[in-house]
Amino acid sequence: MNQAVISDFFRQIIDQPVNNLVDQAQEQGKKAIAYTCSYVPQPLLSLDGVFPIRVRAPGVVGTPMADTYLSSVICSYTRSVLELALEWAFDSLDGWVFAASCDHLRRLYDNLDYLNKPAFNHMIDMPHRGGAAAEKWLTEEYKSLGAALAESFGVDASPQALSRSIEEHNAYLSVMREISEMRKQDNPPVTGAMFQTLLAASTSAPKDMVMDELKALLARLREGKEGKPYRARVLLAGSHCDDPGYIDVIEKTGGLVVAERTCTGSIPALAPIPENGAPYETLAERALANISCPRMMESFQARVDEILEAVEEYRADGVVLQTMKFCDTWGVESSPMVQELRKAGVPILKLEREYTMSSEGQLQTRIQAFLESMGK
Amino acid sequence: MRLQDLKKADASWKDKAVYARYRVESIGSLARLLRHGPGKMREIFSWDWLRTLAGASNLLDMAVYTRTGRYREASAYALAEVIGGIGDLIDSICASPDRVIIHEDLVPSEIFRGMGLAPFMAEVIGIAVPLVKADWAEKYIDIAENEGTPPDTCSLPKCTMGVALDGQFPKSAAIVTSNMPCDGGMASYTILERELKSPCFRLDIPYNFYNDRAIDYFVSELKRMIAWLEEHTPGRMDWDRLKEVCIERNKAMEHELEIWELIRQKPAPMAGEAIWLAQLIHMVATPGSPRATRTMKNILRRTKKIMENGGGALPEERYRAVLWNPPTLVFPELFVWAEQQYGVALLADMLTYHRHPFIDVSSPDSMLRSLAQIIVEGPMARHTRGPAENFFDDLFYLYEYFSLDMIWMAGHIGCKNTMALNGMFRERCREREIPLFIMNYDLSDTRVVSPVDMKKQAEAFMETVMQAEPLL
Ligand code: SF4
Ligand code: SF4
Repeated sequence: MNQAVISDFFRQIIDQPVNNLVDQAQEQGKKAIAYTCSYVPQPLLSLDGVFPIRVRAPGVVGTPMADTYLSSVICSYTRSVLELALEWAFDSLDGWVFAASCDHLRRLYDNLDYLNKPAFNHMIDMPHRGGAAAEKWLTEEYKSLGAALAESFGVDASPQALSRSIEEHNAYLSVMREISEMRKQDNPPVTGAMFQTLLAASTSAPKDMVMDELKALLARLREGKEGKPYRARVLLAGSHCDDPGYIDVIEKTGGLVVAERTCTGSIPALAPIPENGAPYETLAERALANISCPRMMESFQARVDEILEAVEEYRADGVVLQTMKFCDTWGVESSPMVQELRKAGVPILKLEREYTMSSEGQLQTRIQAFLESMGK
Repeated sequence: MRLQDLKKADASWKDKAVYARYRVESIGSLARLLRHGPGKMREIFSWDWLRTLAGASNLLDMAVYTRTGRYREASAYALAEVIGGIGDLIDSICASPDRVIIHEDLVPSEIFRGMGLAPFMAEVIGIAVPLVKADWAEKYIDIAENEGTPPDTCSLPKCTMGVALDGQFPKSAAIVTSNMPCDGGMASYTILERELKSPCFRLDIPYNFYNDRAIDYFVSELKRMIAWLEEHTPGRMDWDRLKEVCIERNKAMEHELEIWELIRQKPAPMAGEAIWLAQLIHMVATPGSPRATRTMKNILRRTKKIMENGGGALPEERYRAVLWNPPTLVFPELFVWAEQQYGVALLADMLTYHRHPFIDVSSPDSMLRSLAQIIVEGPMARHTRGPAENFFDDLFYLYEYFSLDMIWMAGHIGCKNTMALNGMFRERCREREIPLFIMNYDLSDTRVVSPVDMKKQAEAFMETVMQAEPLL
């Protein structure tokens, strides 16, 4: 398995903010809906007639316009997205769906609405805790998003239609999960950078247009070729990280990223969605129980445990905890998290980063020192 | 005094007597803590923040040093009551050590009082102590940063975390917090919970709250909180006691609304600390206390008196302003200076300004509903949660309501929520031809921007944009 096998098809998808497959699907009459957070459920944006695009900002060089509005103390993911939006990079998309996840995304919503108002701009009011009342609240939120999609785009947002969409999404998750499982092997055929490329590409394009390629790739991977040697197995944790290039730097230094506990990574995004319940309720329940982001109060320990379990499951030698600069939820939580992981005997390296990688050399040095500190 | 160039007022013997009287009162309201005995004194005076607060009567200098007549008296009175209010908080935690609830600033502490608990707002330390000593919070900001908190996180929660990490919080039966006012504030309670080793309850407040569904949700959160507190603390809900607290709060609010109505007049018969600082302590930190009602009533009485005598509070009111965003805690003299220098009357600030309903005390449910509404629509809360419109609508309404001449925006660098609105804000003010002054500063850290630099920024705005001639 080599990087070229993946790059031919998938690389070109992730190199652009809006790729050709999106244009093609739109030419067929489908509507592209942008989203920026894992609390926006993909199956709901995959109802017949619409498809989800998880917004990335590849190629952004500086954010001068966005800084004027969002200021320079806002996380660089949101600034990069606004910068491209102000360069009209997302104008071909048909709508945006936000979740009130963090201060930064909420203000991105406000500024986008003011500066380049999308025809469809919806905000999901996300609770900050789990429990029955929150599930009920979020179910209503998802239903109201379904109703808004039905009204604006004429899609069928009935529970039956959503159940079908969940089934299709599960088929995609199952392919990705099987690939992800291979990363548990002693010498995995797929690197972290490759896997991130697949994840980023398949969430940036209509799923039905990438499924054949994904399946073909899976078949090739099943042939059982081994990957390159590495010095240590690394679990990547922390905030938003949709850049395979970042992971690539870790891997070039000898650390193999075997799983990502990030909102854009493999854990917990690939867990299957139950198919035998009321679909809106199921999505709400899953979002509150599964997506353990530090913006959720009360679940710090659950997040620590999730990382510890993943370390065990993927036999990671250490954890790289990367947090986006200016992200308060991850920023504040990372200090007790580092303490907890150290207490559990897990080697951990905490890094702060910007959305666009700027200092590759510095990252390499830090990783190098980390691997050495683990005796690798 | 943080500013050497504040001019001492030409005070009469009466003015001097007013200063002396309130200074003695302020010292007295902290000295009453001595009644808790030497053991307790040793414990609480081991806290650096409390030792610093012991000098709070110096706060009186800020207003009284520079003012004369009735306005001096009203400012001195308001400041003395602010110090008294802080004294009450400390007194109650000394008196009921097993009933202390450490809580975040945007949760309804009236309910804790109704349950016979002793609420102590965690952020009050980071708010009140820098008023007395500007650079005080810096040591605690550094402690939090040395423990791994990012330098860009707001200095107020960072100071609160630093104080907790340094072991300077009273022992508590429980902690109650929420998802407000911002990501940094919310996340800081992960650290507080770990350091204080008390059980912690978290209230969830919806993003969009101007509807019954959100209020219903939050009322259910409040009920959950009461049940949890009954399980984890000695507190028991006494609805009659809560009713008394709510009635008290209603009375204070009635007075406050009347003050607002009066200061709409030109020139305004009251301004400065008697408006913003009194409200911050009495309506946010200790709402529903008899002292809060008394203070608001007495400020109202003094406002009427100034009006009856003709003229306004300031000797010469040239401009009317609102200060938006958290107030300049490290430089509370900002408006004393602006008053002297340019005749700027500060009529409201973001924390002062609310539009809550009166509390409907007809039943337990109606009280919870009103309290829920007060919290979700409370000052700050509705500006840092919810869509940007909440922020702008309030400001533009205030601009009209008080016939303001300009808006002063305290551009606290750590408040990402509001920093991310400044671009829109500038353009919207320009469209309306509202002069807008965005002042760079940090809420609790003078190393970022010093009071002298803050003053220089204000000078530049007043003299270039407002074309103001200095009065002195
Ligand atoms: S990285 Fe942090 S601040 Fe940025 S969008 Fe994600 S949660 Fe928000
Ligand atoms: S000033 Fe802003 S950043 Fe600081 S605690 Fe308040 S809302 Fe949060």
